[in-house]
Amino acid sequence: MFEAISNNPYRNLRAPRVGLRRLRPALPALIFLFVFMVVPLSSLLLLSVTKPETGLGNYISLLGDATYARVLLNTFIIAALVTLVTLVIAYPVAWLLAILPSRVSQIFFAIILLSMWTNLLARTYGWMVLLQRTGVINRALMGVGLIDQPLPLINNLAGVTIGMTYIMLPYVILPLHATISGIDPAIMQAAAITGAKPRQIFWHVMLPLSLPGIGAGCMMVFVMALGYYVTPALLGGTSNMMLAEMIAQQVQSLLNWGLGSAAAFILLAVTLVFYAIYVRAIGLGRVR
Amino acid sequence: MSAQAPLVNIRNLVKHFGSVAAVDDVSLQVGEGEFLTFLGSSGSGKTTTLFIVAGFEDPTAGDVEIDGRSVLSVKPNERNIGMVFQRYTLFPHMTVAQNVGFPLMVRRRSKAEIDKAVKEMLDLVQLGAYAGRKPSELSGGQQQRVALARALVYKPRILLMDEPLAALDKRLREDIQQEIRRIHRELGVTILYVTHDQEEALRMSDRIAVFSHGKIAQIGSGADLYERPADAFVAGFIGNSNFLQGSVVQSQQDQVAVRLDDGTVIRGNTRHPLAANARVRLMIRPERLALAPSNDQVDQSLDVTLSDTTYLGDMLQHEVVTAWQQRITVRTNDRAAASSAGNALKLHFASTDVMVFEDGNRATA
Ligand SMILES: Nc1ncnc2c1ncn2[C@@H]1O[C@H](COP(=O)(O)OP(=O)(O)OP(=O)(O)O)[C@@H](O)[C@H]1O
Ligand SMILES: [Mg+2]
Repeated sequence: MFEAISNNPYRNLRAPRVGLRRLRPALPALIFLFVFMVVPLSSLLLLSVTKPETGLGNYISLLGDATYARVLLNTFIIAALVTLVTLVIAYPVAWLLAILPSRVSQIFFAIILLSMWTNLLARTYGWMVLLQRTGVINRALMGVGLIDQPLPLINNLAGVTIGMTYIMLPYVILPLHATISGIDPAIMQAAAITGAKPRQIFWHVMLPLSLPGIGAGCMMVFVMALGYYVTPALLGGTSNMMLAEMIAQQVQSLLNWGLGSAAAFILLAVTLVFYAIYVRAIGLGRVR
Repeated sequence: MSAQAPLVNIRNLVKHFGSVAAVDDVSLQVGEGEFLTFLGSSGSGKTTTLFIVAGFEDPTAGDVEIDGRSVLSVKPNERNIGMVFQRYTLFPHMTVAQNVGFPLMVRRRSKAEIDKAVKEMLDLVQLGAYAGRKPSELSGGQQQRVALARALVYKPRILLMDEPLAALDKRLREDIQQEIRRIHRELGVTILYVTHDQEEALRMSDRIAVFSHGKIAQIGSGADLYERPADAFVAGFIGNSNFLQGSVVQSQQDQVAVRLDDGTVIRGNTRHPLAANARVRLMIRPERLALAPSNDQVDQSLDVTLSDTTYLGDMLQHEVVTAWQQRITVRTNDRAAASSAGNALKLHFASTDVMVFEDGNRATA
């Protein structure tokens, strides 16, 4: 065996030439990454530590100033809330889609995809129409006599949560559906015959087995929500501004490029930290 | 099994899936402590019957009684039945010990009690050293033994097993078969076992129910099925068999004389009276045929030509052909009788070993 390997005439052509040449096929991708990721990010970083003056002043004021810190905290609270509400709604839907006959679930998938492909702004305006004081929901509720004052559903936390949850739902439903339909129903039957009640089967078997889908979906939603702009801007109030809105405000209205860039960088750093934690917990192999 | 009331009583069970009758009027009784096997080819309704007993399917008609009470309205988790499935169904996120302890955990037993029972069960299936492993770190055979431990840990009176060894290779299968036999003896649990492997069925069961197209073709001990098959289907399904065509010359109670295609008349046995001239099939087991007359019970013979001999180690298998070119298999350990291909021979056999059945697929077939 050994002999055969060392006599291999091609042996010398292999190992030593690892260098840059091997990367040649990846060159277009590398150029793409460089032009569209590294360059803008570096200039962003540069801006955040040079404008208006060189130093970490922007970061210090972002993390030190109560108003900015509030926006940062607010961003996390909203992202977490939206993730939670989305998960709670998406789980039963994904489950239902997994057990419905595929003819029926296909229709639901079509609706979900269609909504995903509809313009974000259009969908958010749609929610404005539904949620405002004189909107469909308030008028319907008052019409039935359930309430006599319109509920404040817009320009506040409720509005942001409703609007963002709606937009995020497919991102949890789809990976969850994939995970749940991958669970062998015989495992559930095995749990049942050993005496487990439906509730116990859910908590001890089904939920743990759907964790990869939950993780993937929640990760996606949380990270997307952290940087969301349009929906919070249109449906949220001034008291629960999110980071992206603040960045826009700094850059567009106040022309404060430095602070805006620093905020964007903090957002990026936090996102990466969450991603790292997620990869640690679930394992890179499971990330889709 | 005899005088006392059956533990499981399945009565006129019917299950339709759309227009398919998966189970078609199945009735059987299982005695306390019995090992009963459902044997049948793919799609014959074995799993469906088992699933109705487990409570995973509702029957279209009929009833399942356990201890004299109908269980149709009882949910699977309240039937106190154990089950091992054909597919691996261990909980992949739990260790072996957690899997085996699961049934007790959902019954809210104390941790000490669970630990003790899990240890006992893992020792029973000889996997004590694997308690901390995940199912993915076990071989298929080990996984099924853990599944067996999980199904027994809560001491169900009835254990259902749906082809638990189908995915394993032959050697391993035989090891675990013995283990299941031992556990059955030690625990005295009543077992309903499904397989499509007749050897497995014969080796393990007290009684075997042969399934065919949703019906039970015959139910009885292995010896019953082998020596006294109810029809040509069961005869062909259990063990090896040679079939010959013929028509009845004369029939008297269970004795019948049949004329073969070349005019030879052979005497045999029948379970049902047969009309003269009825088309019938004769069945003789390969090992009941000899190339030389051995004793005076061997009163029948048939002229054949040897075409091939195979050495099987413990036996010789001869392929012979009749005058009308019908192939017949002979198994014998009489090495002296060996001969070379093309030689004319006489097959000798006893009329008591010839079973005569009505020809199911009519005369022209
Ligand atoms: N859920 C179902 N829906 C429709 N038809 C079914 C269903 N389950 C079983 N069948 C049909 O019922 C018949 C009996 O199936 P069953 O699974 O009981 O057979 P089996 O004897 O266990 O076969 P195998 O040895 O292949 O497991 C088959 O024709 C099968 O296609
Ligand atoms: Mg089956």
